[in-house]
Amino acid sequence: MHLQFGCNPPTKSQRRRSEEKNTKKTLDFPKLSPDACVFHCSMSPQQLNMAAVGFRNWARALSKGKQPGFSALFSQVRAASGPSKGMLPGPYPQTPEERAAAAKKYNMRVEDYEPIPDNGEGYGDYPQLPDRSQHERDPWYSWDHPDLRRNWGEPIHWDFDMFIRNRVDTSPSPVAWHTMCKHLFGFVGFMLLMFYLGEKFPSYQPVAPKQYPYSNLHLERGEDPEKQPEEVKHFNI
Amino acid sequence: MADYREAPLATRPKTLDPAEYFNLSLDQRRAEEERAGLRAQLKRQYQMQLNNPHRKELIEDPALTRWVYARTNPYNHFRATKKTSLLGGLFGVVPLFVLYYVLKTDRDKKEEQIKAGTYDRKFKLAY
Repeated sequence: MHLQFGCNPPTKSQRRRSEEKNTKKTLDFPKLSPDACVFHCSMSPQQLNMAAVGFRNWARALSKGKQPGFSALFSQVRAASGPSKGMLPGPYPQTPEERAAAAKKYNMRVEDYEPIPDNGEGYGDYPQLPDRSQHERDPWYSWDHPDLRRNWGEPIHWDFDMFIRNRVDTSPSPVAWHTMCKHLFGFVGFMLLMFYLGEKFPSYQPVAPKQYPYSNLHLERGEDPEKQPEEVKHFNI
Repeated sequence: MADYREAPLATRPKTLDPAEYFNLSLDQRRAEEERAGLRAQLKRQYQMQLNNPHRKELIEDPALTRWVYARTNPYNHFRATKKTSLLGGLFGVVPLFVLYYVLKTDRDKKEEQIKAGTYDRKFKLAY
């Protein structure tokens, strides 16, 4: 993996400005400040983590925002090098035309496309796909990305990063799930209960303090041999 | 084929599902063909880009871009409903107060015990 330092291609406003300067329609890279440039990693897109994308957008917004400093973080300016507004997820579709457009955007059939129900949790028009993990997909089919068992362009489940093959597996279990839960929690609960009761109500062999002969070892304990030892009675008959 | 049994701990493949094998209506068949058509188009697009000898850059996956964008920008479509407010309060506000209360009472009790000389230091390593 090698790191390649590159600059973003010029945005629409920058291109307009450069076209005013020279009438030729060449792809002119205007002099950009260093913090407008971004590291390009030659890793596959699947390894592009969200932190990198978020950082890139943030750096881009900071460097080219018309407002200086802090307010640049909240500007809606986006580079033209990314996907257009119509290709990105949008709000929940209200009309059938919006539904059809959203289905086309996500590469799904209009009949198959079902957006996640709108309950204010921020899903927008993202499609609701079956909650099946990647373990359940055919291992022998020639996927475009075999480790993820996914084809290029296929709509990604909202919880895709949970359903990869290292993580949550929704394959059928040997015994039904509720049976497994009952067995496990039943056993653990029973053992906990029994140990608790054992602590509360201990039961062991009867014990008593140790009894010593020769009047409780009167002479060995160094007491006066003339003095008469006190009588200690250990038994009751 | 009729006596196929799934491998243990595996789902039955869609192509071997008996519901999809017999008495398929024309609509179902058409639907499957449309899906296969979409899949084939995407495969073709990918292969054309993959095997292009002049390609120097990464093959960008718009589905991935959309997924990342959707996951990182939920607040654009966020609405304060009963459920979201309840969850927000439950995870963001209540733990603050509960933790403060629990820790404060626990430490106050310990302080009282230390001052009274009754604190029992279990597992003490140094004197």
